[in-house]
Amino acid sequence: MSPLLEVKQVSRSFSGLRVLNNVSFAVETGRITGLIGPNGAGKSTLFNIVSGFLTPDTGQILYQGHDVNRMSVAQRSRVGLVRTFQTPQVFANLTVRENIMAGCYKQTASGVIAGLLGTPRVRAELKRMRAAASSACDRFGLAQVSDQPAGKLPAGQQRLVELARACVAQPTLLCLDEPSSGLNSEEVARLMQTLARLSEEGLTILLVSHDMDLVAVASVIHVLCFGEIIASGALSQVQSDARVREAYLGT
Amino acid sequence: MKELTQEVASPVSTTRSGGHLQGWAIGLGLLLLWALVPAVASRSLIDMLVFSGLYTIAGLGVTFLLGQCGIVSLAQSVFFGIGAYSTAYCTTHYGWPAPAGFVIGIGVSAAIALAVGWPVLRLSGYFLALATLALAIIGHVLFTEWDWLTGGTLGIGGIPRLDLFGFSLKSPQRFYYLVWPLAAVLLLLHRNLLLSRTGFAMRAMRDAPAAAAVLGVDNHALKVKMFVLSAMLGALAGSLFAHYVSFVSVDSFGVDRAINFLLLAVLGGAKTIIGAVLGALFVTIVPRVLSQFGDIHAVLFACLLIATVIFLPEGFGGALQRLVQHLRGPARS
Repeated sequence: MSPLLEVKQVSRSFSGLRVLNNVSFAVETGRITGLIGPNGAGKSTLFNIVSGFLTPDTGQILYQGHDVNRMSVAQRSRVGLVRTFQTPQVFANLTVRENIMAGCYKQTASGVIAGLLGTPRVRAELKRMRAAASSACDRFGLAQVSDQPAGKLPAGQQRLVELARACVAQPTLLCLDEPSSGLNSEEVARLMQTLARLSEEGLTILLVSHDMDLVAVASVIHVLCFGEIIASGALSQVQSDARVREAYLGT
Repeated sequence: MKELTQEVASPVSTTRSGGHLQGWAIGLGLLLLWALVPAVASRSLIDMLVFSGLYTIAGLGVTFLLGQCGIVSLAQSVFFGIGAYSTAYCTTHYGWPAPAGFVIGIGVSAAIALAVGWPVLRLSGYFLALATLALAIIGHVLFTEWDWLTGGTLGIGGIPRLDLFGFSLKSPQRFYYLVWPLAAVLLLLHRNLLLSRTGFAMRAMRDAPAAAAVLGVDNHALKVKMFVLSAMLGALAGSLFAHYVSFVSVDSFGVDRAINFLLLAVLGGAKTIIGAVLGALFVTIVPRVLSQFGDIHAVLFACLLIATVIFLPEGFGGALQRLVQHLRGPARS
């Protein structure tokens, strides 16, 4: 079976500075794939290229075997590529529940005119959105705060809101950008459990982090350093890699 | 329309609010008050209230764009003008019935909003505000220069009264009973929209555009759709305006009008639907009341604006919403 996501020889420069140099890696269906690297390694750039916020100078992004290079962020979302952000991007003025309801956008289809008229179909959609949000709130431990504006929550809970919202959007590949930043160790442990559970349920996850502890949940890890993949494999493998040790520990 | 005050002022919550007897009583009271105003109020007050209703309709478009979509639009005066000239020209020049002018005005506005909005709505923030301001200025220049169509500074006079099922709307009182129910229906439709998939998408786009895109929302297309809808409201209000005042000239469709529509949205509270009503009442009635203090009235109005923005940053609608929430507080928790 071909991999779900294939990054092929992607390069990208910013004003002459080469941030990514011929990066290639794949994400296999059903697994958690980790992408780690020290600060400034090019992780965010690569992630933005995969999700469609940036275009590569050269190279290809294949998703389910199709080239998605020319697809917008929203179009990629429609084929199942959903991401979260390093700084949680919640809809600050909406409640937690409404945030998650907004996640159902792709599972609903009513247009502006139907919306204005408040047709039975729109009301049925709203009901479905509400039900999906309720179950997601329960699942991600957000039931207590479901009626609070998401912008008022602490960072850890905002991350959960973002994660719950992304899951409601029914991704086939969930890309998480530094999901542990701003979390305390207890919250990180819970996040790891959640990710492991989602993975067991069959969700494919791409995890970007500089946190070695968190990426322990990944079955395959790619190490990015100065715009190049310097090592790939299981955690123990990459940890024992000389170049990785050098990049991370400076020894 | 006042029966809506209660309902529309309440935050667009996804929780069901129970049967609040008090709320219904207040709503009914306001509705009665609204219905009785023309019987007791002076002609000039009714006149102001009719204008408030017209500005509510046009302002609703601006309010919705600003508060729900995060789009600053200073172009509403253009669509207001197109609506007014369209029906004025069709009824006086061709002798067509008013509805034809309405439809043409709304259609032309929608087409222009689509054509202009498509490129312009790629911009955001200050740049978008400036681009829409440019649109307002260009519109005003064209209204002046194309005098074969608009009558230029001389304007178009003798626009016939509106006729509703053989019932002539010849007095401000009668117009009052047309414009406010119409405004109420439009407010309700927009409230519906807010509680639909599209409404969630636009508020998502307003708060975090990148995250909205990740959920599959085509931000640009959604912005354009909402801009077109807003323009249609502007044109509808403009057409009604033309028939009400029976004379239109370029002076009514300048940049000051555009600013007034935006002012209305900000003061009224752009994030609330009822904000359009409150803002429209404010910008129509308050300057008139202040004018009795003589030349200083403009300064007083300016001071009042500043005070409102400082003390009620979420506008009157936001303050009202807070009040309603506060009153309901114990019941909700």
